[in-house]
Amino acid sequence: MPVAGFQVSTINMDHNIPFSEERIWDLGLRLWRRAKAVMAGQSSSGWELAVNESGVLKGHEGAVLAVRFNGDGNYCLTCGKDRTLRLWNPHRGIHIKTYKSHAREVRDVHVTTDNAKLVSCGGDRQLFYWDVSSGRVIRKLRGHDSEVNSVKFNEYNAVVVSAGYDRSVRAFDCRSQSTEPIQIIDTFQDSVMSVHLTKTEIIAGCVDGTVRTFDIRMGRELVDQLGHPVNCISLSNDANCVLASCLDSTLRLLDRSTGELLQEYKGHKCKSYKMDCCLTNTDAHVVSGSEDGFIYFWDLVDASIVSSFRAHSSVVTSVSYHPKDVCMLTSSVDGTIKVWRK
Amino acid sequence: MADVDEEDYVYFGTPIEREEEISSRKRKAIAEPGTLRSLPPWKQEVTDEEGRRRFHGAFTGGYSAGYYNTVGSKEGWTPQTFTSSRKNRAEVKKQNIYSFLDEDDLKDIGGNTLETSMQYDTFGFTAAEFARKKAEEEQKKRPSAIPGPAPDEIVLPASSSIGMRLLMKMGWRQGHSIKDSNAESLSEIRREARKAFMALSSNKAEPDISEKDADGTDEFPDMSIDVLRNSENTPVYVLNPKQDMYGLGYDPFKHAPEFRDSKRLRESKSRETKRSKVHMGSLLSSNSKKYAPGFGIGALEELDAEDEDIYASGFDYEQTEVELEPSKAVSSSSGDRMLQLEHKKRGSLLGFKLASDSDYKLERFYPPAIPSNFRPIHKFGAPLDQTLKNYNSVPPPDAPPPENTNLRLLIEGSAAMVARCGKSIEDLYMEKSKTNPLFLFLKSGAEGYDYYVRKLWENKQKFVDNLKPAEKLTAENRGRILGERPLASTTSRVNDVSVKAREVINTQSSHGDTVTKPISLADLPDSAIKQFKHDPAKQERFELFLKEKYQGGLRASGTRSSTSTSTMSEADRARERLDFEAAAEAIEKGKQTIQISAPSTDHTKDLLGFGEDRFVSSTLIENSETKLEETNVVYPKREQFEWRPSPILCKRFDLIDPYMGKPPPVPRPRSKMDSLIFLPEIFKSSNKEDAKSPIGNSLEASKSGLKEAEAEPSASEADVAPTSPKNVERPVDLYKAIFSDDSDDDEADAGPALNQALNPVKSSEGANKTLNRLVAGDFLESLGKELGLEVPPGSIPGPSLNTNTVSLPEEQKSCKGGDDRDNTPFPKVKETKSKDYGSTVDSSREKKRSHSKHHRRRSRTPDLDPDSGSDSDSHRRHRSRSKKRHDRRDRSRSRDSESSDEAYMNRKERRKKHHSRHHEHKKKDYGDKYSDKKRRS
Repeated sequence: MPVAGFQVSTINMDHNIPFSEERIWDLGLRLWRRAKAVMAGQSSSGWELAVNESGVLKGHEGAVLAVRFNGDGNYCLTCGKDRTLRLWNPHRGIHIKTYKSHAREVRDVHVTTDNAKLVSCGGDRQLFYWDVSSGRVIRKLRGHDSEVNSVKFNEYNAVVVSAGYDRSVRAFDCRSQSTEPIQIIDTFQDSVMSVHLTKTEIIAGCVDGTVRTFDIRMGRELVDQLGHPVNCISLSNDANCVLASCLDSTLRLLDRSTGELLQEYKGHKCKSYKMDCCLTNTDAHVVSGSEDGFIYFWDLVDASIVSSFRAHSSVVTSVSYHPKDVCMLTSSVDGTIKVWRK
Repeated sequence: MADVDEEDYVYFGTPIEREEEISSRKRKAIAEPGTLRSLPPWKQEVTDEEGRRRFHGAFTGGYSAGYYNTVGSKEGWTPQTFTSSRKNRAEVKKQNIYSFLDEDDLKDIGGNTLETSMQYDTFGFTAAEFARKKAEEEQKKRPSAIPGPAPDEIVLPASSSIGMRLLMKMGWRQGHSIKDSNAESLSEIRREARKAFMALSSNKAEPDISEKDADGTDEFPDMSIDVLRNSENTPVYVLNPKQDMYGLGYDPFKHAPEFRDSKRLRESKSRETKRSKVHMGSLLSSNSKKYAPGFGIGALEELDAEDEDIYASGFDYEQTEVELEPSKAVSSSSGDRMLQLEHKKRGSLLGFKLASDSDYKLERFYPPAIPSNFRPIHKFGAPLDQTLKNYNSVPPPDAPPPENTNLRLLIEGSAAMVARCGKSIEDLYMEKSKTNPLFLFLKSGAEGYDYYVRKLWENKQKFVDNLKPAEKLTAENRGRILGERPLASTTSRVNDVSVKAREVINTQSSHGDTVTKPISLADLPDSAIKQFKHDPAKQERFELFLKEKYQGGLRASGTRSSTSTSTMSEADRARERLDFEAAAEAIEKGKQTIQISAPSTDHTKDLLGFGEDRFVSSTLIENSETKLEETNVVYPKREQFEWRPSPILCKRFDLIDPYMGKPPPVPRPRSKMDSLIFLPEIFKSSNKEDAKSPIGNSLEASKSGLKEAEAEPSASEADVAPTSPKNVERPVDLYKAIFSDDSDDDEADAGPALNQALNPVKSSEGANKTLNRLVAGDFLESLGKELGLEVPPGSIPGPSLNTNTVSLPEEQKSCKGGDDRDNTPFPKVKETKSKDYGSTVDSSREKKRSHSKHHRRRSRTPDLDPDSGSDSDSHRRHRSRSKKRHDRRDRSRSRDSESSDEAYMNRKERRKKHHSRHHEHKKKDYGDKYSDKKRRS
């Protein structure tokens, strides 16, 4: 059965994917194409995973809770229990700036596409809107009733969307002087752990076991029930799939258009900590930390563990993959940030 | 002289007044102010010193404007609703519909209006009755335009005409004749003379003479004896009512008077009959009007103006008949009369004879003869049952399946179909078999026929088993069929279990004799296997699939591909295979008694409500509902809800608001309590589902073998559990709802003031903050200060801020406790306020809306850079301060003494006053101030 000029059966035979052809068909053309790309990459240049430690960024006192590449991958931001945000150049291992204003631990940080503004959130129930260069807080956005777990800018850097322990997702307008949210989404049943934005949607993962997609253009809410508390969600680079890290030590890959479960990834340990997961720059692999300090790489399609190694002495709280290159950052409770390359 | 005369004479009519006369009269009126004053006020005229009426000009009513030249009403311009006196409070005028209707309207409505009656009569007889009697009398005597007794509506008393009234004034009374007393006396004299003469001559011819006399005195024959007593009213005769269409004065019989006689004769005759049978209606005898010959009138139609022959000439057809009549009439009149009498007796029409024997017979339809074996109870689905019974009675011998798997499948499929749909399908297949050799097995003796019969029997058995519980429709079953949600407390679970257990037994017993095909799945509940009940073919395939899976142990992939029917496309087949896999997996995993949904949404219809096969066309919604309540979801499950992004969010995302221009949504209730009460069905169920899912799963993990019945209460507990923390955890919102509602700025002030005792740290912090914001005019400056004040570099803020944040929940809780009482009225206040913005609906959602509206306005104005706005800001702040003070005082009072409702009213009033004070100008600033507050808080 030819699919887009592509013989299903040949792939089956070549790589011994343990699906029937029907299953493959059901997983959809999209996954197929990705699989094809992966195969192509494998055949040409072998495995390209950021598995070799190339540097350690030290400076945080206490646990580092999140590490994030900026838009182009040249810098990274970290935040942690020591109530600070730090800006680094991970490639050269330089600590550039420290941002202090938070009164409690900082849980998440995001930077605008033009690298001019930061937004951070944490235990003090406020969002801090920073000017990157001056290091000053432009605005404190309040509205959450308890800790804020995750925060993101939208595409135009005009809206900040945050997800909090107060079972709500709130959107704030950066352009107005107001510090009040312009939208409160409180359909969640439990703490919202992670939020992501696309051009038209707000996607949030919640401990009530749902991944909710709020389509602003359509004015509808899609609720994908996974049945297990969602710890973190991550979008594939083409934004067609969402990877949800559940607290049953399973990563689940969902097709966003249909809500179908494409794959499950198991092997790591994720039971109680807020931990990040992500896909690699090519979308070929799935990466997640583990509570035992390991990093796991799974093959996207067949869910086999491609690589796993001990990266930190304690819980790996966050992983961030370079948008273009094979480079990965991991942060841990042990207070270190590590840079990984191929 | 003339004046004196005026008073003596009875006047009739109103004299035309002349200008000079009026003025003279006016002068007179001045002379006698007493007479004028006796007039009702609206008739009194105002005059100047010289006694002239004041002229107001044409537009203001000419001379007098009534009511002493004020306005046309008693009250004049005095406002009716407002009385300034403190003691005399304005009465609340109760208005009803009559206060808006004038007399004409009232008349239209038919209400009881006071009118003067024209028929007022002091004596018992009304004039109307009198007139009617008169008319009846006349009717008897003479023909009138309208045959029959005069209807009451037509004979109305002539409302006393002017002549009558004149007569009355002259002393005439009703019932008396008008007679010249001279004439009377003359006739009296004459009569006396005659009497004397008669007495002289002889006594014999007295009556004749008297008669002649009576003729002579034409109209008053006998009554003239005692004129004064007996004189009677002259009956008003219409002597020759015009009954024809001839021109006035035209006499058709002018040159042929003999025809006139004949006509009169005929008329008198017809009048006789008419009078005897008035009730026959006017149709027969009405020759008063000529209707067009040749055009018939329906029996039920009335002869009316349209039917008159307006073109008729003087000559009419009836006339010719009449013309011949007299000659014959003489001879046959007696016979005719006899006939007429007879007709009268028999009640038939004139000119008709009763037929001796009529062709017409009343046709009678006798009820059909009921067959003796008829039982008046209808049985539904009898044919099926019958056939089933047949099959029950004679179980066909077991037959080996044919070698050809395709044929086998076909046989099985068709057997299932026939079992479900009855004989008709079999006939259809028979038809097919004539052309298609595949269906040859239907013919007895052909290859596979035995197998088919056997299969059919098996299927029917199964079908009967399925039907059995459906036949005994319990309330729950019926409810489920109708898509009702079962009550939580019903024992449906138990029933279900029992039913299912029975089913299992049935299937087992029915399969018991099919020894050659032992179904290893029999230990599974039937409902679990029969997930695709509505689609028998699919169900069949599914069962096959299960059989293969469990029986064969190994999955024979070769057979698998062959099992699927040829009609399905590859993709469908694959999809179905997946469904089956999933379903089988679920069965295997849980062995629950619950039906399991297929994973993808387009397979929701696979989940069947009970008795679905009876109501095949039931909707998908019903299914989904039943699914929600009685199935455990397979994850991931996707649901879809409506969600309204705020307009500003859409704008910031550069998207078009999908709900632009649509009415505001039903506000989603904030608290869980509300949601329990008001949430639409879907939400509720989904919430429940959500709440259930994490806990349910953990339960599942720990004790998977538990029954549903036990899992249910725990789920409900889980449902309750999150509610209480939610209410507790929300105090900040509540706090805001209370303090941010109406008075714009008191949040910043009232907050610390209330919390002062509890938390001094907070208050100082609050003061700092407000200070901060006060200086927040200059953007950069404020930024710097904010940084400097709130987060002094180093270690200062740590502890203080910590205590702040730690203690905050406490104070919020305490606030909440204190304000619970005021909790209710405040949303109302908010609502009214939001109306000020031109939008409706309360709750925070609406608040957001107003915010966003405000933002929009703001972003249009250039005051985005704070330098320009700082000036006005401080002004505003000032103003709002004063207002705030008002409100606070007010609030404290309301807390102490008044009920919350009163407080609400009070505040509203006060606000109104505020508005009136700084009306327009302030309103304009309202939005900005609102934001001011926000920044402050």
